[in-house]
Amino acid sequence: MKEMYPFGKGLARYVPLLLLMLPMALYIVFYFGPSVMTVIYSFTDITNVPGSKMNFVGLDNYYDVFFAGNSGERVDSIIRTLYFMFIVTVVQNGVALLVAVIINQRLKGDYFYRAVFFLPVVLGVAVVALVWGMMFDPLSGPVNQLYDVMFGYKDMFFGSFTHAFGYIIFVQIWMYMGYSMLIFLAGLQSVPKDLYEAGYIDGTSKWQSFKHITFPLIAPSFTVNMLLSIIGAMSTFDIILATTDGRFNTRTMAYDVYKETFRGSLQMGLPSALSVVQFLMILVFVVVAVKQMRKREVEH
Amino acid sequence: MVKRLSAVLLSSVLLLSLAACGGGGNGANNEAGNAPKNEATGKPASGEKTVVKILHWKQENINKAIEEINKKFEEKYPEYKVEYTTTGPDDEFKQAQRARITAGDVDVLADLSGMRLSPKEWTPGAKVPDWQQWIDSGLIADLTDQPFVKNYNANDIAKAGTYKDKVYALPTGKVAMSGFFYNKEIFEQHGLAVPATWTEFIKVLDTLKEKNVVPIVVAGKDVWPLKLPVFGLQAKILGGGDQQKWIEGVWKGQAAYNDAEAVEVLDKMKTLQDKYIIDGFMGIDYATAPSFFATGKAALIADGTWDAPTIATANPDLKFGYFPIPATEDAAKNKSLVGKYDVTWYAADKGPNKEGALKWLEFFSEPENYTSYVKAAGFLPTQDNIQTDSEFIDKELSPYLSGDFELAYEILMINRDNVGEHLAAEGVHTEYLAPGGEFKTAKELADVQQQEWEAAAPK
Repeated sequence: MKEMYPFGKGLARYVPLLLLMLPMALYIVFYFGPSVMTVIYSFTDITNVPGSKMNFVGLDNYYDVFFAGNSGERVDSIIRTLYFMFIVTVVQNGVALLVAVIINQRLKGDYFYRAVFFLPVVLGVAVVALVWGMMFDPLSGPVNQLYDVMFGYKDMFFGSFTHAFGYIIFVQIWMYMGYSMLIFLAGLQSVPKDLYEAGYIDGTSKWQSFKHITFPLIAPSFTVNMLLSIIGAMSTFDIILATTDGRFNTRTMAYDVYKETFRGSLQMGLPSALSVVQFLMILVFVVVAVKQMRKREVEH
Repeated sequence: MVKRLSAVLLSSVLLLSLAACGGGGNGANNEAGNAPKNEATGKPASGEKTVVKILHWKQENINKAIEEINKKFEEKYPEYKVEYTTTGPDDEFKQAQRARITAGDVDVLADLSGMRLSPKEWTPGAKVPDWQQWIDSGLIADLTDQPFVKNYNANDIAKAGTYKDKVYALPTGKVAMSGFFYNKEIFEQHGLAVPATWTEFIKVLDTLKEKNVVPIVVAGKDVWPLKLPVFGLQAKILGGGDQQKWIEGVWKGQAAYNDAEAVEVLDKMKTLQDKYIIDGFMGIDYATAPSFFATGKAALIADGTWDAPTIATANPDLKFGYFPIPATEDAAKNKSLVGKYDVTWYAADKGPNKEGALKWLEFFSEPENYTSYVKAAGFLPTQDNIQTDSEFIDKELSPYLSGDFELAYEILMINRDNVGEHLAAEGVHTEYLAPGGEFKTAKELADVQQQEWEAAAPK
């Protein structure tokens, strides 16, 4: 009867439970606990000053998020976040799928291309921001010289009120495209060859075989990629911080949370409320997206 | 089953209490957290060295001077060891400052322009700044009775070191920032004199343009350098030259961001930005801008006096001077500089080593040490009778420094809580008027600012 008690009898039975407690404890102390506390703080006037009292203020912080003197900007940030999420999710996954399909054709040196496309992910935000800061230097950067030669036009890039956000979206996609591509590639390689052969015998065109064989079978990778880019895009603030620092109409919700927490006043209630709003928005989008995409996944 | 359940329950209760500690870490729980630490580090065994922890931001010339003072301090008082930590400036420093003072892990801490933004009776609903909350919570040491405070100019201490009639901070120097460095050779070459009025100034700039010299460079990418000439305009134009009156007026509804004076400020800066500042200035960062000036690519640079050493280093042969922006047609009124207090020291009252902090401040304030510091920093001294030996300060700046030091708008202004981005951070943000900005005229921006100001009125 050893199998019934793989860890022995008596107190020893609790060993696995105890061992599980360690990661659970870490998770709760450093992740779950603070998250719950953030929700609680969002209903208080807590400050960062040691020894100060904390009072419950009801929905005041939420009122301030949407109806204070400068809430128009926060609403703008929210709209900008949605725009950012939409463009990044669509373009990043579109381009990544295309690149993954091309690389999956077993062309020569596919490992090299894979590495090149994945490189920006490894570089990290600070390096990427530095690189594109130099590329987009309005005075001596190569891109502006190219614009000048090709269109006789010069841009201010990250210093432009109208274009800066577009360039940030571009950099974000450039940076994470390789990541999505890798996930698609893994999905593509798990598609059984015989399905294509069967399709070939039935006389499918390349497009038909992509539409009816490849696409349904990589739907799980598609779901993962969509989720990752929705969550990633809606909580992006690092690339904004590193390129424009929120100037020139480039603030997003996540950037506002960062700014209110670390640069605003010592009040922690408002940033907590902001992050709760952000969390709820991400939750809504993720739930809707998952429901939609689960429908299309097929078993094979 | 019951056993197992109770085990799970017990452990989760334990964990929840742990979680509560973790979550509350930046708030109330710290008080309990640092009490034992104080005892541990604050009362060392006799004969051991005690550590004085100083927190400051990175600014190479000043850091070096302070490190030297620290060395001398340790030699003179071998019972102390100085731990001098520097972080990146601005936000990074602000974060470090908050974290360290909250944790009771600092003895001497720096602040930029002490004692600003404190709410007044005419600013209902204004936010209480960090330093004031710290003092009110008893975290900052009262320096009123410390003899070394007397080394400093009483007026400077009153303006930038005093709160509720008690001295809490030492303002260690002043900087002027409402003017331009100018290239003397270029001026001579084209027969130009330092302008004293706005009309003369525009004439000078036009002449430079005619001769194909870029008149002005300014680091627009960092945005804040654009404020510097604006400070001059604000101080001379708002309230007819009484900025403080205008600021109070705007709170009381007697003045407005879209009244004629405020629009004139924006409009004059817009004129400079549109016509005379180098093309693409919104792409020039603060570190690069001085090289444009130092290599003669631009005749003027809008910058603070603290940058004189940088410019001199960039081109040691360059002959340059400094003049305040001639904001109005009244030459006498234009002839003074606007600025602010710079590095300001606080001593932590609940830090691990308050006594060491006071000792260090005393040592720092000794005229000899202070002189070496102020020279290295390029500040205008806040102690009397200090010889800076700086030709730049003595010859170029002193003509504009007679009379009381005028504080800049960003120091005097107290913003309403939740004020919009076109007025945020005690500024008027002329970058929105830059070529490519969203406002075509000064009036449009001014109207939006007034709207935002009214929208932020306390309810």
